[in-house]
Amino acid sequence: MVVAEFSETGLPQDVIVGDVTRKRSHTRRWAFLGMLPFVAFITMFLLIPTGEIIVGAFRTVNGAFTLSNIDDIFHAPYPAAFEFSVELSALSALIGGIFGFLLANAILHHGVPRWIRPAYISFSGMAANFAGVPLAFAYGATLGSLGVITVLLKHLGLNIYPAFSLQGLFGAALVYAYFQFPLMILLMVPVIEGLRTEWRESASNLGAGAFTFWRHIGLPIITPSLLGLMVLLFGNALSAYATAEALGISNLVTIDIAQLVDGNMTLNPQAAYALALGMIVIIIVTITIYSLLQRRTSRWLR
Amino acid sequence: MAQVTVPVARPGSHRLRRARSRVPIWHMLWVVLGALFFLVPIYSVVEFSLQGILPGQNVFHWYLTVFDDPNFRSAFWLSVQISLETVAASLVLMVPTVFWVHLRLPGLRPVMDLVSVLPFVVPPIVLIVGLAPFIKSLSIWLFVRPEVLSLIYVVFALPFMYRALDAGLRAIDLQTLTEAAESLGASLPRTLVRVIIPNLRAAIIGGSLLAVAISMGEFTVASLMGFNTFSVYTFDIGMSTAYEGVALTFVSFLLVWGIMLALYLLGRGGAGAAAVAITDEKK
Amino acid sequence: MTTVALRGISRRFGSVSALDHLDLEVGDAEFVSLLGPSGCGKTTALRIVAGFEWPDSGEVLVDGQDVLGKPANKRNMGMVFQAYSLFPNLTAQQNVEFGLRVRKQNRETRAKRAQELLDLVGLATAMERYPRQLSGGQQQRVALARSLAIEPSVLLLDEPLSALDAKVRVQLREEVRRIQSELGITTLYVTHDQEEALSISDRVAVMSAGRVEQFGTPAEIYSGPRTAFVANFVGTMNKLEGKVVSREDRVVRCGPILLSVPDPTFNHQAGETVELFLRPEDISLELLSKGETPPSGLFEGRVTSLTFLGPVTRVGLATDLGLLLADVSSAVALNLAADTVVAVKLDSTSLRSITA
Repeated sequence: MVVAEFSETGLPQDVIVGDVTRKRSHTRRWAFLGMLPFVAFITMFLLIPTGEIIVGAFRTVNGAFTLSNIDDIFHAPYPAAFEFSVELSALSALIGGIFGFLLANAILHHGVPRWIRPAYISFSGMAANFAGVPLAFAYGATLGSLGVITVLLKHLGLNIYPAFSLQGLFGAALVYAYFQFPLMILLMVPVIEGLRTEWRESASNLGAGAFTFWRHIGLPIITPSLLGLMVLLFGNALSAYATAEALGISNLVTIDIAQLVDGNMTLNPQAAYALALGMIVIIIVTITIYSLLQRRTSRWLR
Repeated sequence: MAQVTVPVARPGSHRLRRARSRVPIWHMLWVVLGALFFLVPIYSVVEFSLQGILPGQNVFHWYLTVFDDPNFRSAFWLSVQISLETVAASLVLMVPTVFWVHLRLPGLRPVMDLVSVLPFVVPPIVLIVGLAPFIKSLSIWLFVRPEVLSLIYVVFALPFMYRALDAGLRAIDLQTLTEAAESLGASLPRTLVRVIIPNLRAAIIGGSLLAVAISMGEFTVASLMGFNTFSVYTFDIGMSTAYEGVALTFVSFLLVWGIMLALYLLGRGGAGAAAVAITDEKK
Repeated sequence: MTTVALRGISRRFGSVSALDHLDLEVGDAEFVSLLGPSGCGKTTALRIVAGFEWPDSGEVLVDGQDVLGKPANKRNMGMVFQAYSLFPNLTAQQNVEFGLRVRKQNRETRAKRAQELLDLVGLATAMERYPRQLSGGQQQRVALARSLAIEPSVLLLDEPLSALDAKVRVQLREEVRRIQSELGITTLYVTHDQEEALSISDRVAVMSAGRVEQFGTPAEIYSGPRTAFVANFVGTMNKLEGKVVSREDRVVRCGPILLSVPDPTFNHQAGETVELFLRPEDISLELLSKGETPPSGLFEGRVTSLTFLGPVTRVGLATDLGLLLADVSSAVALNLAADTVVAVKLDSTSLRSITA
């Protein structure tokens, strides 16, 4: 696949300057050899595994063609797991996205003290990478049944359990937000900085207040980026496994896949292939919806 | 024109100052709430890790217990070892490749941009479902050695490593540097080692730190393939003794914080480097 | 009817003084330019009027009412920025309608007004285009239409033409002036381009270091600069250094030559060192046949350079007064070559003297 793309790309027209041309054309044929290690690595560690999943999803253990693996994912408990995965990813992308946007906008506001911006950005860089097992434990220590805040609230006469649970949709989304929200801040800051001062001032000059500016100008301009980032957050949450496992969430696609392949990768790899394929399909569908929306919201870009 | 007398505003008059900077109450509210959201769990971790201690025991009892555990030490060193191998393998694979693409095959850059995003699109658990049986069928010897994790982590580090190196190479005048070195009689590998790599130091360190961050914290692949790395140990100990797990959580936090601080100090904002890596990817 | 007055406006950025007790009065329907080099405070002054900056002290009066307490979006002023100010997500028409939409006008009124204004700026056919589909000049026309749509009390233009090609710039500045006089709108125009300022303004305020150096009609500024800064900044000037010989007779000695300065504002003590300024077009040349000496009142000059400027040619002359530049008709210049010796005549009525 990649090799085919290489030949389609053709010759690098834009770099050939002066007397290196002759030398370049001699070695061009050989230049692709320099890519061999990389191509081999990508093939082995990315392309073959992906191909293995697609093929394996339609095979029995003995290698014969079958649709029963695919059929499996439409039976309990998998549909519920897919549903919860998508809900949790969407909710955490929404929470992280909206608040990340609001916060990115807030720290860029000229009235907010200057030092807050670098402090937030560097902390976000940390928090966006602070996912997985430690994050789940951190929330356990905070809002678990014996968590510091849970106990504090109990002393204040507010018992959040059993209404609240870190394994429920809202609890888990709150935990996920800890890496989604800072990621959104990091990615949103350059987008908001891309809104020109001239646009704000023109709007203000024409009589618009902050709300009118955002409604008619600011939001429409950043919507394509906003959508793209939300999709990124969605994918980010969808692929999360460590956080969910350490939180003790049970009905999630990634958890189900792990249970099927745990240990020696021998338990029931065929069903795992089908579930993995299901995740790939969800990602492709999401990206497709995104690009359709993108086309509608960015007509003015073309 | 009718002359109307209006009092002249003196410097710092209330009227002017009010007009200039209305305190952005809403924005400040978000800033404070966001800070609470970030800091409360960290405070809770510290608080929780100092609880459950019997009279006479050290306040840092749980930390000391964990650090004393030989299993912790071996897990931690295994992760350190894997991280270093990941960095080494990433650099050996990516530095010559990205250099080569910039020098000889710039037309491939869009393809490289695309390929380097793939690891971000394919969830780790999906990747490992396809990859593990393949490696196993290839070589059982490799399948059970920790080096296999390093190789897989090279895939996860690829987007970050590629972005860092790509940006670094774009910032230097590669063509001129190389031609100058070649005209002085240096071979291409020698040019790479003696001229290009020293000029790419910041990019290489930046990419490497991100690779370390990924390798130290990775849990999915390590646990599914049965390796007892730092994060797997943290998980196991947390399941048996919550206090120790939370103490290790704080250690992980400091570790990530240290790496991000190093990136930040490296200039161009380390947080930014990670962000840039991801931002560009979505194109 | 709208007048604008800036009184004692000061503004510091850190230790830098951007505006230093600036005073300026703009009459009704008047077109006033703020002209000066970058960093002279002209843009800051405009932004203070618009409400995007606030002075440390001073007042801005519109029709005698101080407007500093009002935020920008309540001042009803139209502003045109240097470039890229059009909302990229709205068509030309929607951009022009924006201010009316904010004012809750109905769709028909808005569309009608947008049509009128785009007609006025000569872009009736581009209503449906997005900004990125318009050229730089077209974008600025739309921006002008947009700022006029709200029937502003004052029109503010911040170097609106500086990002455009030379040819479009000249064409568009004439249109700006035409539209301004048609609508009779009080206008403040910021530019660093003196030709632009002189060609379209009723009055020009030449600014330097946060102050107005001189405020007057283009003719006054051009032919009667009152400070050395204005003389040097506006157009090309010959500068002669001299000592006043007599105050009553207005005679100045420059090197070996005595010059009489008929300027009625001449007011210097005898012995004072002054600078005399003279435009190149106020120096004329007479050809000398070989060996001939210049007639009385004229002096000798040797041609050192010839620069063709179209209808005139700028001649560099080495004289007893130092190096002078003279503009002569290009037809006359055909008779000149390097080292030609000519008789140089100064139009002394145009000499301006400024204390050195």
